[in-house]
Amino acid sequence: MNQERSIRRVVRRETHSSRAAASILTAALLAAGLLWLAVEAVLALLRESPLLASPGQLGRWLTGLPANTVPAGLVAAGAGLAMLGLFLLGAALLGGRRPRRSLRSGRSAVVVDDAVIAAAVSRRARLAAGLTPGQVTTTVSGRSVRVQVRPTSGVPVDRDAVHGAVDRELHSYELDRPATPTVHVLKEGAVGQ
Amino acid sequence: MSNTNRALNRLLLGLAGLLLVVAGAVTAAAGLMPGVASGWETAGTALTEHARAAVAAAPLPGPARSWWAVAYVAGLLLAAGLCVAWLASQGGGRTPRLAREEDSGQGATAVDAGLVDAAVAQALEGNLLVLGSAVTAWESRHGTGLRLRLQARKGASPRELADTAEDLIRGVDALLGRPVPVLVRITGGAKSRVAAPERAR
Repeated sequence: MNQERSIRRVVRRETHSSRAAASILTAALLAAGLLWLAVEAVLALLRESPLLASPGQLGRWLTGLPANTVPAGLVAAGAGLAMLGLFLLGAALLGGRRPRRSLRSGRSAVVVDDAVIAAAVSRRARLAAGLTPGQVTTTVSGRSVRVQVRPTSGVPVDRDAVHGAVDRELHSYELDRPATPTVHVLKEGAVGQ
Repeated sequence: MSNTNRALNRLLLGLAGLLLVVAGAVTAAAGLMPGVASGWETAGTALTEHARAAVAAAPLPGPARSWWAVAYVAGLLLAAGLCVAWLASQGGGRTPRLAREEDSGQGATAVDAGLVDAAVAQALEGNLLVLGSAVTAWESRHGTGLRLRLQARKGASPRELADTAEDLIRGVDALLGRPVPVLVRITGGAKSRVAAPERAR
C-alpha cells in the first residue's frame, strides 16, 4: 500500500465513528439474553425451578401476549421496539462523521478537532479587530465557519477586514474539507472593554 | 487507529436494527388489527406444539431427554459465543513496541513507544502552543504506525502545530532510521479550555 493511500485510510478512520459503542452495547445485551435462555433451558431439562420463566412458560406468555394485553400497550411496545431498531439502522447506515478534519501534510496524516480550528479562528479575528477574549465566538460545523463579533461599544468593527483575516487564516490551514467563513457583527456592543 | 472491524460493526448493527424494526412493526400491528393478533396466537400455538413434538420425537436417555433440547441449548451457547467474539473484536492493536530490528545473529534491537514519547515531551518543553503530548504505537496488518497527540493551547494555529509535529516526526525518523506511518492528532479538551490563552507574542 503506497503512502498516500495509507494516509487517506488513516484520516478516514480518524474522522469517522467506528460504531464501537453501539456494537458493544448490542453485543453485550444479546449475549446476556442468549445465555439466560440457555440457562433456563438447562434448568427445565434438570426439572429445577426456573430463574424467571421456564421455556414452556415463556412460549405460553408470548403466544398469549395479544390476548392478555390492551391494544394500546401492544402499539406502544411495538413503537418502542421499532424506534430502537431505527436507531441501530441509523448507526449502520449513516455517515458517522466526527467533528474533526484533516490538514494537508506531506509526511503524515494530520487530523484536527473542529474546536481547535474554532479557537484559532476566534483568536485571528480578535487580533484583526483589536478586541479582547470573549468578544469573538466561532462555530465550526460542516462546511461553514460562523464568526460572531461583539464590538466594543462606540468603536465600529470593520467586518470586511475581519472576514479577510479569517479567510486567509483558514486558507493557510489547507483543510481537506474547505469551510467558508461568515462574519456577523452584533448590534449591541460590549461596554467598558 | 485501532483495529476495529468497522464494516462488520455496521453489518451486524444493521441486521439487529432490521430485526427490531420488524418485531416492533408486528407487535404494533397485533395491537391495531385483530387479524394479526389472531394470526399471532395461531402461529404461537402451532410453534409450541411443533417444539413439543420435536422434543418427544428424538428421545435421549439421561437428564437431557431429547436431541432437540441439546441442540437448542448448544445453538444458544454458540450464538452467545459469537456475540462475545463480536464484543472482543472492538478496539485492539495498541502495542508498546514501535520497531524491532534483527542484527544478523548478533541480537535484536527493539524500540518502545515510551522512548519516543519521552523524546517528544522533552522536545516540546517550553513550547507555548502545546499543553501536552502523547505518543502511542499501533499495530495492524498494514504494519506498525505511530500516533502523536498534541493538545493545543486555546487559540493556537493548527497550521503552526502541524508544522511543529512535522519537525518532531523528522526527529523520530532520524531516531528510528526509517520512516513509519504517522497520525498526528491535534486536540482540544478540558485542559485547553481551562489553561489561559496565549496573550502576547
